[in-house]
Amino acid sequence: MTDFIIETSQLCKSYKGKAALRGLDLRVPAGSIFGFLGRNGAGKTTTIKTLMGLLRADSGSAHVFGGPVTDADRSVDIRRRIGFVTEDKELYPYMTVEQVIRFTRPLFPKWRHDLERRYVEIFELPLESKIPELSKGMRSKLMLLLAISRGADLLILDEPTDGLDPAAIEDVMRELVTIAATSGTTMFFSSHQLAEVDLIADHIGIIDQGRMIVSGSLDDIKARYQRLRVVLANSAELPTRWENGVESVKQEGRVVSLLASGNVDAIVEQAKSIPGAVVEQYPVTLKEIFLEHVRSN
Amino acid sequence: MLWYKGWLETRFRLLFVTGYTIFLLLFQHSVRNATPPPGGKNPALGFVMFSNPTLVLMACALLGGAGIVTQPSLQATKGLHGSTLYTLSMPVSRLRLLGVRAAIGWLEVVSVIAALCCGMWLASPAFRMLATPMEMIEYAATLIACASALYCFSVLLATFLDDQWRAWGTMLSATALWWLSTHTTFPASANIFRAMREGSPLVAHAVPLTAMSFSLGLAAILFFAALKVVQAREY
Repeated sequence: MTDFIIETSQLCKSYKGKAALRGLDLRVPAGSIFGFLGRNGAGKTTTIKTLMGLLRADSGSAHVFGGPVTDADRSVDIRRRIGFVTEDKELYPYMTVEQVIRFTRPLFPKWRHDLERRYVEIFELPLESKIPELSKGMRSKLMLLLAISRGADLLILDEPTDGLDPAAIEDVMRELVTIAATSGTTMFFSSHQLAEVDLIADHIGIIDQGRMIVSGSLDDIKARYQRLRVVLANSAELPTRWENGVESVKQEGRVVSLLASGNVDAIVEQAKSIPGAVVEQYPVTLKEIFLEHVRSN
Repeated sequence: MLWYKGWLETRFRLLFVTGYTIFLLLFQHSVRNATPPPGGKNPALGFVMFSNPTLVLMACALLGGAGIVTQPSLQATKGLHGSTLYTLSMPVSRLRLLGVRAAIGWLEVVSVIAALCCGMWLASPAFRMLATPMEMIEYAATLIACASALYCFSVLLATFLDDQWRAWGTMLSATALWWLSTHTTFPASANIFRAMREGSPLVAHAVPLTAMSFSLGLAAILFFAALKVVQAREY
């Protein structure tokens, strides 16, 4: 049986009558690197704030480390075990980099001094600089340092690479994978960068309009999804009804493109049964899966 | 470490209030050698009637806080903003954040009042003519007791307003209350501004115990309300 570090059920949250989460079901397995994807306003940050106990859901339940996030006593313990990067990367403007680190350090008993020193060096953080003097990229790096050094069992990262240049993104991604691999830390991160999610995540969830529309192991999802290219004979016609599992059908002249989310063999058989049709199968990228779902939802 | 954060948060405001206190004390040079004519008004009374209550009000407005929402919301789009998210991601309850921050601000307010009274006594013979050392201590105690209600009002505002609006809110509300207390028939037992001015031990030569008790009672209610607001948001 899989242990889930994060588990939400039918989570709902509205802002002034506008629904941000509409019955979100989310399960993040222990030890996984979970990429949380969605368009702007899909509900990613609302979900993260709810998990961190920063927002109260209207209904539904949210559990982290097996305990409800709404329990005030447990909430403090839960936060002690979480490393968090906020979406806006805002820190105290009256502190220097060193002061923020000095302030945060004693609040976490499992603070990793070795990682703190390592990332101060790798990220080239200017310890004497005040927070407002840092670029957004530097603030992102500082927040990552503060999150990672907590020695947390779970990292919740809201757009962790926001503001970083491509080289820095590459470095950060590599470091995150190293941490997950060496310490068994579960990582739950939201991102718009599909390429970086594809690079490091082993599980993904795609949220749209406050609902989870795809979730599971990235390998399983990629194996389940197939792109079929069907070249029709001149007079051939498409079936009026496709087998279950066909997500979309696009036709340009005699070439038909199908996206299948399962039941691929049956769909291939059905396509091959069209007189004169030539059927080819292709793997799909995470980007294709994402775009297909959010556009059709 | 919350004390450290609170100190970094308030140190420049404390410096500003201390600067104003020093300015007031230096200004007393003008009354240092002025001795009141027989039956005339002591020149030090001006400080008792206006400058000192203004300093108390300013100290409460600037140094109060709850340690949660500490940045202006003018540029924020909605809800929690600025460093608040980072603060609340710490393994610390909102109650503890409020408690530590309120305690730091209160210690600073008390220090400013104590420094003001000591400075007044040492700097100006006019004050030494106005009251005995014991009355000066009683005056300091009166200012501290009366400041408690204003300070706790500031703390209560801090539970739902950011720092900027809280300071303005405290300042404007207290100024309006001061104006009301002088222009309407405000009961003396509930008039904390009168207790800091003409009802103070320096002028009335008696401790305004009822007004002080009223202020401390009101402070307790306001602080309790602040705790309740924060507790309601705790989860």
